[in-house]
Amino acid sequence: MEKHLNRVMEEITNQPGVYGCVLSDHQGLCLGAHGQASTESSGVITALAEQALKLEPKSVMPIISLENDNRQLIIRRHGVLTCGIYKSVCN
Amino acid sequence: MVEEVRKLLQDILQKIQGLHCILITDRDGVPLLKVGTDKAPENALRPNFISTFGLAIDQGSKLGLGKTGTLICSYAQYQVIQMNKLPLIVTFITSDTCNTGHILALQNQINPIISTLTLAVAES
Repeated sequence: MEKHLNRVMEEITNQPGVYGCVLSDHQGLCLGAHGQASTESSGVITALAEQALKLEPKSVMPIISLENDNRQLIIRRHGVLTCGIYKSVCN
Repeated sequence: MVEEVRKLLQDILQKIQGLHCILITDRDGVPLLKVGTDKAPENALRPNFISTFGLAIDQGSKLGLGKTGTLICSYAQYQVIQMNKLPLIVTFITSDTCNTGHILALQNQINPIISTLTLAVAES
């Protein structure tokens, strides 16, 4: 059933620099994680997306990027799905 | 010590939208610590409701999936999320729209509190 979802996650993880991705539903429950992404982060990722949307409720779903010296987490919500992509950043 | 734990739970309660109550009880549902708002339904806080978790995890262990860790009951207006920290049970009562995954992620955060309380319970 989740074959398609797994394929999409694999595709995402195969992009250059990406080392993990996690997908969660509107309740923050993990639908799948691939690569070095933890399933436990799904709840927090959904919560972050929800809170970010509150900054400008009338605008489209924002893309949230959390970054440190060498890593980046990009969060994007689409409908009921929230996707978190972990990327390594080369400076 | 109890005041510190209560403050920590209060902080968690304020941070998560839709979280009405955090309840730490023993296996019989007798409350040790309760932090909550007035939105929490009275019936869900009763020991006879909380203690059914003990029966549920006993049945759950028969599925052959190992020890039951968490039980999520989703109702029309509320969610009841219970965590198996035997001899203690941690119960979260939330609104139906609350982020379930976020509550589950609290597990790591409350583990130190639970160990402290378990020690205190064992000593008494």
